[in-house]
Amino acid sequence: MKLHTLIASTALLFGLACTSAQAHHSAVQYDFTKQTAVTGVVKEFSAKNPHLLITLEVTNDKGPHLVQFEGHSLNNMYRDGYRKGMVGIGDKITVNTAPLKSAAEGGYVVSVVTAKDEFFGMRSTSAQDAAKVQAAAEGKR
Amino acid sequence: MKMSVFKHLAIGAGLCFAASITSAANAQPDFTGLWTNGPPAPGAGPVVARGTPPPPLPMLPQAKARVEAYQTLVRESGASPGGSCLGTGMPGSMQGSGGYPMEIIQRPDQLTLIYEAHGELRHIYLGDRNAKQEDRVPGRDGYSSGRWEGDTLVVETDNLVDQVDQRYAHSENATIVERYHLNGTDKQGRRILTAEVVMTDPDFYSEPVKFTKNWAQVPNGRLLPYECAEEIWSERLSELAKKAGVKLP
Repeated sequence: MKLHTLIASTALLFGLACTSAQAHHSAVQYDFTKQTAVTGVVKEFSAKNPHLLITLEVTNDKGPHLVQFEGHSLNNMYRDGYRKGMVGIGDKITVNTAPLKSAAEGGYVVSVVTAKDEFFGMRSTSAQDAAKVQAAAEGKR
Repeated sequence: MKMSVFKHLAIGAGLCFAASITSAANAQPDFTGLWTNGPPAPGAGPVVARGTPPPPLPMLPQAKARVEAYQTLVRESGASPGGSCLGTGMPGSMQGSGGYPMEIIQRPDQLTLIYEAHGELRHIYLGDRNAKQEDRVPGRDGYSSGRWEGDTLVVETDNLVDQVDQRYAHSENATIVERYHLNGTDKQGRRILTAEVVMTDPDFYSEPVKFTKNWAQVPNGRLLPYECAEEIWSERLSELAKKAGVKLP
C-alpha cells in the first residue's frame, strides 16, 4: 500500500514537474473551434495574468494523472464571473477547454464549473466567437 | 444718458452672444470615459485575433525577410510580447484596446489613454505641454503629440522603436497619425469613437498603411488592475532559492 502510494505520489510529482515546465503556453497551440470538457480534482490553481493555470488530477484509461491547463487572464475571468475563493485545492471541477492541436491532454480553459456548480468564463461556444476567444487568450484581448 | 446705457448694454449682450457662439463652435468633444470594441470598421472583421494574417501590406523585401524570420522564431512556441508581460506597443496597443477596455482621461492640454492589458499607457500632449524633440524618450508606444482640427483629435506619434513583433511591424523611423472623432451611436445607444490611422515607414513599407478602428463607450465602466509579472517574479525567486539551496520563504 505504501509502495503504491509512493509510486502514485512520485508519478504525480513527475507529472507536475513536466507540466510546470510547459508553462507560458501561447494560444497558437489550441484549437479554438472545438471544446472539450474535462473533470478532475484541483491540484494547482493560479489565477494570474497573463494566463490562468490549473492542474487537475484526471482519471481516465491511463489511471490518475496530472494534466495542466492554461486559461484566460485574471482580468477576463473576473469580467466573466470568477471571484476569489470559487476554486480551491481538492475541489472536483469541470473545465471546458479548447483542446491542444497536438491532441495531447490539456487545453485552454474557456470556462469552469466549480465544485458548488457555479460557472465562470465564456458561455458562447459558437464558431463565430472562436476568434474572440483566441484574441482574449493572446493576453491582449 | 439713458439711451447710452441701453446702447452699451445692447453692445455688451451682443458681444457675449457672439462669444458664446464662437466658444460653441470651438468646443472640442469630450472623449473621457471607458471604451470597448465597437462595431467593426469596414473590412476589419468582428475581432482581430493575433495569429490572423494581416491584410496584404506593401512591405519592402528586406523588412518582409525580417518579419518572416521573427515569425519562424516564435511559431512553435507561440511566444509573444504579451506572453512575457510586455506591452504591445503602437500601433498594436490601440488596435487591440477594446478587447480589454481603454480609458481616456481628457484635459485641455493632455489626454491620457490607459489600455487595461498590461496597464499600457499613452500620454498625448497638446500645444505647449509638449516636450522638445530632444527630450522625447523612444519606446514601444513612442511619443504622441495632439491637436484639434475642429471636432477631430489628430495625434502624431514618433520616437518609436523597431518592432518586428507587431501585427503591423515597423522600424524606429515609423510615424503614425491617428484621427479620432465621435461617430454617432450604435443600436444600444452607446457613443461610438472612431480612429482613422495612417502609418508611414519608409524603411518597411512602399506606401502608407491605413486602417480604421471603432470603440463603443461603456457608461460608468471601470478598468481592472492588470498585474502580469508575478509569475516571472515567482520563477526568479525559485531560481534564487535553488541556487542558494534553500526553500522558498
